Amino acid sequence: MDNGMESMLDTYLYETNSLLDRLDEMLVADEETEDFSTDDVNEIFRIMHTIKGSSAMMEFGSLSTIAHRIEDLFFYIRDKGISSLAHEHRKELFNLMFRSEDQLRGEVAKVESGSPLSENIDAFTAEIEGFLAKISGTGDSAGDKAPEAGTSGQTSAEDGSALPDDPQAACFIHIFLEEGVGMENLRAYMIVNALKEVGADFRYYPADMDTNSDTCQTIIDSGFFLAFDDQESTAMAEDILKTQNHIRSYEMVEPTASAAETPAPAAEASASQPEKPASAPATPAASSTKQESGAAAPASHAPVKQSLISVNLSKLDSLVDIVGEIVITESMVTASPELAHLPRDSYDNFMQSARQLRKLTDDLQDISMSLRMVPISGVFQKMNRIVRDMRQKLNKDVRLTVIGENTEVDKTIIDSIQDPIMHIVRNSMDHGIEETAEERIAAGKDPQGEVILSASHSSSEVVISISDDGYGMDANKLLAKAREKGLLTKPENEYSQKEALGLIMLPGFSTNQTVTEYSGRGVGMDVVKKNIEAVGGTVSLTSELGVGTTITMSIPLTLAIVTGMKVTVGNSIFTIPISNIRQSFKVRNEEVVLDDCGHEMVDRMGTFYPIIRLHRFYNLETEITSIEDGILLWVEASDRSYCLFVDDLIDEQQVVVKSLPSFFNEFGLKNAGITGCTILGDGNISIILDILTLYMAAIETI
Amino acid sequence: MSNQEEALVQNAQDFEEAEGKQSIERCLTFESGGLVMFLSTEYVTEIINDYPITPIPLVPSFIKGVINVRGRIFPALDIRLCMGMPQLEYTNKTCIIMLNIDSTVLGIVVDSVQKVMDIDLNQVHPIPIKRRQKLLDGMVTVEDGRVLMSFDYKALASGQYN
Repeated sequence: MDNGMESMLDTYLYETNSLLDRLDEMLVADEETEDFSTDDVNEIFRIMHTIKGSSAMMEFGSLSTIAHRIEDLFFYIRDKGISSLAHEHRKELFNLMFRSEDQLRGEVAKVESGSPLSENIDAFTAEIEGFLAKISGTGDSAGDKAPEAGTSGQTSAEDGSALPDDPQAACFIHIFLEEGVGMENLRAYMIVNALKEVGADFRYYPADMDTNSDTCQTIIDSGFFLAFDDQESTAMAEDILKTQNHIRSYEMVEPTASAAETPAPAAEASASQPEKPASAPATPAASSTKQESGAAAPASHAPVKQSLISVNLSKLDSLVDIVGEIVITESMVTASPELAHLPRDSYDNFMQSARQLRKLTDDLQDISMSLRMVPISGVFQKMNRIVRDMRQKLNKDVRLTVIGENTEVDKTIIDSIQDPIMHIVRNSMDHGIEETAEERIAAGKDPQGEVILSASHSSSEVVISISDDGYGMDANKLLAKAREKGLLTKPENEYSQKEALGLIMLPGFSTNQTVTEYSGRGVGMDVVKKNIEAVGGTVSLTSELGVGTTITMSIPLTLAIVTGMKVTVGNSIFTIPISNIRQSFKVRNEEVVLDDCGHEMVDRMGTFYPIIRLHRFYNLETEITSIEDGILLWVEASDRSYCLFVDDLIDEQQVVVKSLPSFFNEFGLKNAGITGCTILGDGNISIILDILTLYMAAIETI
Repeated sequence: MSNQEEALVQNAQDFEEAEGKQSIERCLTFESGGLVMFLSTEYVTEIINDYPITPIPLVPSFIKGVINVRGRIFPALDIRLCMGMPQLEYTNKTCIIMLNIDSTVLGIVVDSVQKVMDIDLNQVHPIPIKRRQKLLDGMVTVEDGRVLMSFDYKALASGQYN
């Protein structure tokens, strides 16, 4: 695939996915009220139309066909109004729409992974068609001349707005006047006259509108028609129509297409993607609604210009990289030893400009970082859908409350927290919330369960919590279960409540015996914990039996820049994230306690912590080997806390995190506490330590 | 191969005629641990010397560490240590040859870089010792009578040197 095609595919996937997200959002919201608003019906119609068009262009047949069928369905609904649907049909419609959305997403996923699209989607499209047939069968009012309902073309006939018989006409304009303007026939005639004044050649229907006041009702009900012999005069007439008052909407109608089909393309559609006449379905007659100044907004959507552009993530990444380089280079220049040779005056001038530069680069850095920030609402939105699906499957009445969905998080972090959040929400729905409403009433709770999803910022972290008001967890049960599985590492009665709850995050722990579709597949909270820790975050859990459970995830805002403490060990410089450091201190030899293997420990605030000598663990040469000469850093990550022995502290600095070359992957440095490296102001490289994995490598494998 | 380049080839004219075909590559020759090796210039991006290498802990000793080349970080390997020879103090002759092998970029530390010359790859013979060589995949005699070893860059990039 060449580049052009690839970027087209990128755009296609981006567009289609965002359209499907939008669809999902609307479906979930509308299902609450069991009603589609007119706006939403139009929107869904538009979404399906766009997906159909772009999929056809990319030659993704299955996507295009499904979208086409739904478009047909919504053409019908839009035309008849959602209120014409019987109650049970609406429910069915929602289910059908959710399934269609899944089907479309499934196909899009196949496009993304490069696997072949489904060949046979007939069963599914037949289902949509069947549904359309059903609703149009019952929805038609008496005396309607609709034959076998089910095709898309019924609509114009059903309006009674069949085209007038005019074999010469190349094009019709179908005009509706504003409601309640009065004397519709005369107003229509005025429009006709206005057109005649500019010399347009056309005929109008009903032809007797100027003399016969009975035509009034016809025009109110089904508008009136102008028939043109060629496209030029139609276009000219359209210009005139735009200047006329009291027109609610008008549309261009091709007589050939509409005789059998429907109103044909209007402005937006015909401009972007011409339809093949043979397969052309009802193209949205996006009524180019004209309104007089100050008139009420029309029902249809006015296109809102978004001041957003989508940018390739890799471009942003390189921008952030370069900005990082600039920040570093700036400090290299301003800290250059050559500056000392400058005469006093010039030095002051230089420093003044340098301060200005520093301020600008700081701003630049802030802005470039903020570019990568996206609101978390996208992730939360998906949870709505999951709650909705599970509510039906599990037959539990649960509402999802979302708080702080506009909280912004780095894009890479968004991608890695979606699965953990989804997993926890599923757990809450499946195991957290009580099985039946009776059970909840008996426990004195609201019969409707609640899952709360919230996000907020705290200094350099984003805190996401998921809480339910269900059973809550029983620490004793967890302990018993852990004992059964042999996961306990110390006597049972020594576990605190917090530690006992933490057991659930151990690999291989799952208290639910039965595996359901949604949870309990053995990969559980331990995977959640691992995923969150992979992006430098922590997971904590609080639960009260009978009241509910809250799981809180704290995740750094961004992975690209960390504030670190630089420390030396021999000739190497290591960077330790400031957020992990609790304290730095010196000790005397006698304060260090040894265990039987010679492992060192030190007392901090009444608890003993192990000491890891960095030079020993990493096998580095240094002159400082006595614990009294170096310095200890008390560090903490997740629930691990220990002391690192290093030669000396240098200073604190913001650093741009770079990953190690992939060449090093095979040496498993990530599991030995080395997460990446950074380039210091003098061009040297410093290794960034990961406090958590360093602990696991140094202590847990001993 | 352009005529110009062919004109530069002064050696082994007879052999070429005898073999009927030739495959001439422009190669960089360098010395490490007493061996003179060559490598197609196609894979060489630059040669740098007197450069600080930041050691990385917990990796085999022949991986000297990482280097910062204009803001990008690459691994640096010492060829001497790769071949199991003793470490030599780095001098001003010590060079880092930056290689880009199938978009794996890395630097190799060599004792010295010699020159760029044309070598007919059809003249490269396998090494007649069955024990597998770590980093060499052939040898060739050039016109001044010296024997050059073909450096197995692929083994280096794919990590087969252990």
